[in-house]
Amino acid sequence: MSEIRRWGPALALAAVLLAGAWTAPGREGQDTLRSLLPADGTIPGWSKDGDPQEFVGEDLYTYIDGGAEIYQEYGFRRVIVQDYNGAAGRSVSLELFEMATPAAAYGMYTFKRSGQGRIVPLGSGAELEDYYLNLWKGRFLATLTGFDATPPTIEGLLAVAAAVEKNLRDGAGVPGLVAALPGEGLKPQSVKYLRGLLGLNNVYPFYTARGLAFAEAVKGDYEDGASLIALDYGSAEARAKAWAELETSIKSGDRFKKTEVRGASLPLYLDGRGRYAAFVEAGSRLFVALGPVPEAVLGLAALAVR
Amino acid sequence: MTRTIGRRDFIKTGAGAGLTLALGKALAGASSAAPLTKPSVVGVGIGEDYGKAAGKAIALAGGMKAFVPKGAKVALLANVQSRHPGTHTKPEVLRTVIGLCKKVGAQRIDCLSWQPVKQWEDTGLKAVCDAEGVGLRLFEKDETLFKPVPIPKGVALKEARILAAYFEYDRLINMPITKDHAGNKFTGSLKNLMGLNSPENNRTFHKPNWKTDPDDIAHLDQSIVDLNQVVKPSLNVVDATEFIVSNGPFGPGQIFTPQKVVVGTDRVAIDSYCASLWGLKPADIVQIKKASEQGLGLIDLDKVTLKEDYYY
Repeated sequence: MSEIRRWGPALALAAVLLAGAWTAPGREGQDTLRSLLPADGTIPGWSKDGDPQEFVGEDLYTYIDGGAEIYQEYGFRRVIVQDYNGAAGRSVSLELFEMATPAAAYGMYTFKRSGQGRIVPLGSGAELEDYYLNLWKGRFLATLTGFDATPPTIEGLLAVAAAVEKNLRDGAGVPGLVAALPGEGLKPQSVKYLRGLLGLNNVYPFYTARGLAFAEAVKGDYEDGASLIALDYGSAEARAKAWAELETSIKSGDRFKKTEVRGASLPLYLDGRGRYAAFVEAGSRLFVALGPVPEAVLGLAALAVR
Repeated sequence: MTRTIGRRDFIKTGAGAGLTLALGKALAGASSAAPLTKPSVVGVGIGEDYGKAAGKAIALAGGMKAFVPKGAKVALLANVQSRHPGTHTKPEVLRTVIGLCKKVGAQRIDCLSWQPVKQWEDTGLKAVCDAEGVGLRLFEKDETLFKPVPIPKGVALKEARILAAYFEYDRLINMPITKDHAGNKFTGSLKNLMGLNSPENNRTFHKPNWKTDPDDIAHLDQSIVDLNQVVKPSLNVVDATEFIVSNGPFGPGQIFTPQKVVVGTDRVAIDSYCASLWGLKPADIVQIKKASEQGLGLIDLDKVTLKEDYYY
């Protein structure tokens, strides 16, 4: 009993410090997710509506039943959800996701954007779609949803986004693999950064998982209609093994058919959807060039490994 | 009237008593609710008034009378996954279905769900139940509220765990919204039935390596098909009015607005039709392809009697 009395205050202090470290999302050890929410009075005309909801780790399945897997694939830590009401009777819902790493936040951001949104100069990247806005900065992804596309709602989306962005202090650059996409003709907003097969299946399904256990990947679309996927396996050995598996699957499956194109410098396949596909290896990476025109596909594949 | 029902409530009301005995009969009753129209008639109502479009689609598919006899107890399974636009069944569609069930003399109409009341409120669907005076029976995610149902033909799933209250009804109307799904690329009438299966059993649809192992990936879609072998709605009323085609199933995402409601008994035909609305090939959607191969319906829309019309 006396031991507990003696150590009690110290243990309590340690517990508080540990809790602080565990809940630190912004600068390590300083912020809680709640502290990152724009407070009442900071957004003219808008105020919080009710209490926020928080979901940590696997609890995300409670919030996003049937759709949490993609967040988990990228690396999810937790999310806080807070509604805001505006003077014109409009409402905006803010979801602030804390991901495991800046790369995970960037990846989820690219996964969620349509590629056709209006670029908003906030954070490390932000795009406004018809009635919603995605923003990423550091380990954070903010998704703001309005429930219509009227001017007051859009103003609210932008105002709440700007306010939350101010509270996110640590920015980060895009993952290095994004630079593997040749810049010429690339549509920057089309870039999707991927961390697993679930994401890949959504941007280009190979209808197999064999040979697709990559460490990270990136896909970009080009002005001429071609696309390039760069899959990085971490080492040349891992890439060689994966490509052997994938190539076997491609040759034995009914999805891809090898096709002859005069003068082609690489084997070309037709993917059953009217697109040509060329595969080229380089170090730890496997590049897959796709498109409706064989010359553009071959050109992009060559450019990728130049 | 809205009720959230836990295990004790369920037993207390007597609904759980004698359930085991009633199970086989009730399941057979609900599953063998033979429609009076040919199985692969698909009615499609079109127009900006989604309630009227739903009414038109049901009429084209044969009329509610063909699916819900007088005196029937009807369970409705709507999708209330998220309040984001284009992610949940529209209140207008629910209102029409309830109205038509009443009109043909249904004895009892209830919405069943294990989703929380907040989602029913946020989506506007609770307000419809309240206004129409039908039951909203919300169940806790308590395994004792679900009953094991063997799936003799199950390939991946040998046993489902179906909401026990479902067996109190003799007709089920499946009311999903069709939309994008990050896991399966598409969701519609086949996948919506997971809303009757227990959350714990649903988790078995995802095997440990379901994202990386080809066999495990197939397991997810096969499980959906297996579940559909034992839960056979009397009617499917699919909201294809406004739905997300990216960031599904939760959204927010890009909205596509065909302004259609798709109705019928053939889930494969309906899902094939809905997938094709936004440029997907039904054969590329594994659950549709497998369901077709395992005799649940027609994937080839050329073989389906498709009746499309605007409401007037």
